[in-house]
Amino acid sequence: MTAAPVHPARSVLACGEVRTCLLPSLQALDIRAAAQLLRLRADEPVRVSERPSLHALSPAVLTGVDCRLPSSNGSKVRGVGTVAARAALTEGRLLQATAWFSVPATGPDLRRPWGQYLVRPGLVEPFGKLPEQATADGVLRGAGRGELDLGVIAEGLLGRLRRHALLDRRVPFKSSPTRLRWVARRGPAGERASLTSFTLAEGGLRTMELRLPADVPAVAAAGLCEDLALHDWLLTTVQHMLDNSRLGAAGGAPVIETLQPVVVHLLHLWMPRAHVDPALAHLWDVLEERPGFSRQWENLSRRIRDRLALQAVAAPQQALSDAR
Amino acid sequence: MSDAVFQETTAQPRTQSVPLAHLSLEIGHLYMEDYAAGAKRLGEHFAEVRVWADAVRASAARRAERPRISTCFLIDDYFSRFSTPAELVPMILKEAEEAGLVIDYLARESACATADRIELAESVMHRLVESPPPGSHGSRPPVSRTGWLANGERSPSTSRSALGAVKGWEPPQETAARNHSIFMDVELWSEKDGRRLWSCPFLAAVWQLARLGLLRHLGEPVLVPTVWEGADFPQEWDRLPPVVKLSDTKAPFSAYRTCSLMPNRFVAVEDAVRLILDQTDVDTEALRQVAERSAAEGMPVPAAVAQRATYVFYEEPGGFSEAEET
Repeated sequence: MTAAPVHPARSVLACGEVRTCLLPSLQALDIRAAAQLLRLRADEPVRVSERPSLHALSPAVLTGVDCRLPSSNGSKVRGVGTVAARAALTEGRLLQATAWFSVPATGPDLRRPWGQYLVRPGLVEPFGKLPEQATADGVLRGAGRGELDLGVIAEGLLGRLRRHALLDRRVPFKSSPTRLRWVARRGPAGERASLTSFTLAEGGLRTMELRLPADVPAVAAAGLCEDLALHDWLLTTVQHMLDNSRLGAAGGAPVIETLQPVVVHLLHLWMPRAHVDPALAHLWDVLEERPGFSRQWENLSRRIRDRLALQAVAAPQQALSDAR
Repeated sequence: MSDAVFQETTAQPRTQSVPLAHLSLEIGHLYMEDYAAGAKRLGEHFAEVRVWADAVRASAARRAERPRISTCFLIDDYFSRFSTPAELVPMILKEAEEAGLVIDYLARESACATADRIELAESVMHRLVESPPPGSHGSRPPVSRTGWLANGERSPSTSRSALGAVKGWEPPQETAARNHSIFMDVELWSEKDGRRLWSCPFLAAVWQLARLGLLRHLGEPVLVPTVWEGADFPQEWDRLPPVVKLSDTKAPFSAYRTCSLMPNRFVAVEDAVRLILDQTDVDTEALRQVAERSAAEGMPVPAAVAQRATYVFYEEPGGFSEAEET
C-alpha cells in the first residue's frame, strides 16, 4: 500500500472549550509542584513561566475521535481526527483544561490509516464538505448525543488532574467552575485577528467568536481563550462572593471571614494578557472597552479593600466600648 | 515570540535535532537461544543476511547517489540473559565480518525499556493515542489502561444482552478494514512480581522510533551512541552502554527510513510493531525536523511513521527447530 500524500490541510474553523476551576488544594502549589502536576507525559517538559505571574502549561495530549461533528441544523457530517487538550495552572491556584481542534473545509470520503491523522495533531477532517456555519453554531451550543464533545474531553483532563496525589482535594472557599466555548473563523494570513462576540450565558457558560488569520495557530487562540476564561472566572467568583455573602451592611467577623480568601487567594491573580500570543493580545482591548473587565475588577477590589478598611477602623472602637 | 526582549527558557522548550542517515539497516534481531546455538548458527544467519543487505543497498542507491546507510544489531538482554558481552560481542562481530558485514552500531534491547536512567518505554506508552472506532466522541480514556492495544473493536465480552438473553458471539471489527477485518490485539506489557515487563513488540516499537530519530527526553536526544574504545567488552550486560558505535562510519545511527532483516518467524512481532507505531503520537518537533530535512535532500519521508519502516523476512537458515518462536 502506498501512503496517500498528506497535504497540510488548510483549516477554515478552529473550535475549543476551556474549563476553569479552583485547584482543589488548601495551599496554592509552588512552581515545582505545579510542574509535577501538569507532567502529562514523562518525556515532554511542562512550560513554566514566572513573569509576570506564575504560569505552568502542560504538553498537549491527543484524543482520537470518529463521530458526527456538532451541528445546529441536524446536518450529520462525520469527522475523524484528533482533538488536542492541555491544562494550565496559574499562580498554583487556578486550574484550567482546554480541548480544541481545527477543521478543513473538505476531507476525503473514507477513513485513512490512523498514523496519517496522528501526524497532524489537533486536526479533525470532515467526510466531504464541512457545513461551516452549522458546525460553528453547534460547537457554541454544545455537543448533542453522539457528537464530538469538547466538554467531555476537557472535563476528562480536569478530572484526571483533580485526582492527582499531590492534591488534598480541599478548597479554601466555595466557587463554581465555568465553561468557555469558542469558535474561530479563519481569515487570510496577515489579517488582523478580531473578536466578534463574547456572550455570558446561564450556568457558568460563556461563548466567544473570533476571526483568526491563517498564520496564527489554533493553539494561540486556545491561549487567548484560557486567559479570558481565567479573568472571567475571577470576576464571576468575586462578584458572586460579594453578592451572596452575609455581608449586607453587617460588620465584624463575617466580613473578614468572607473577604479573607479573596484577598489571600485571588486579588493578585488579575494579570490580563500575561500569557497571550502578541498577535492576539489586542483582542483584550475590545473587552476592556466594553464591558470593561479591568474596570469591574478594580471596582470589586476597591469594595473589598474599603470594607476591610472600615472593619479595621471599627474594630478598636468596638474593643474600647466592650472594655467599658 | 522570539523577537521579544524578555524571554524565559523554561517557557519556550526546544527540541534538539539529531544527525540522520538515509537508512538504518538492521542486520539481525535474534533471541538469546540463537546465540546459544553457537557460532556456526550465527554465521549462517549472517551469510543469509548478507545477500539481502546487498539488495537493500542496491535499492537505496536508486534513491540517492551516495546513500548514507548505517547498520545496527540488537542484542536481547531484556527477556533472558546469556553469556557476557566480553564473550558474545566478539563472536558476533567475527561472524558478521566473515560474512562480509560490518556492524556500525550495537544496541541492547533492555535500553529500549530504560536507558541512562530514562524510562523510554514508559514515555512512549504515554504517547499512545488509540485509533478511535466509529462512534468515539471523546469519552474514551486517552491511554489504554489495560495494557493491550488493538486495531479495532474487540468482540463484546458480555454474553448477555440488557434483557438477560444470552446473545451469540459477535465478531471483532478492524477499524480500517477493507471489506473484511484482520483484527489484532497486542499485549504491551505484563506485571510480574510488581514489576512491569514490556512486551517484545512494544520494545521493538521503541527501537524503531529510536532508529527513526523520533525519540527525545525533555527535548534532548536519547540513545546517543557511545564510541567504544576499550579493547575488551565488559563482563556484565548492564555495563555495556545502551548503543555502542563499533565502526568508524560517518553515517549516523538514526535515519529517515529503517529496513530490518530478520527471520520470518518475526512477522507477527513486526506487524504488532506497526500497529503500535500507527497509534503513537510522536514528538511534533522531531517529526517536523525529519520531514524538512528529508524533503530538502529530495527524499521526503512518508507522513505516517509506520510507513517509514520496511522489512525483509528471510527463511531461517539450516532448518533449525530448537529456536522456534517463543
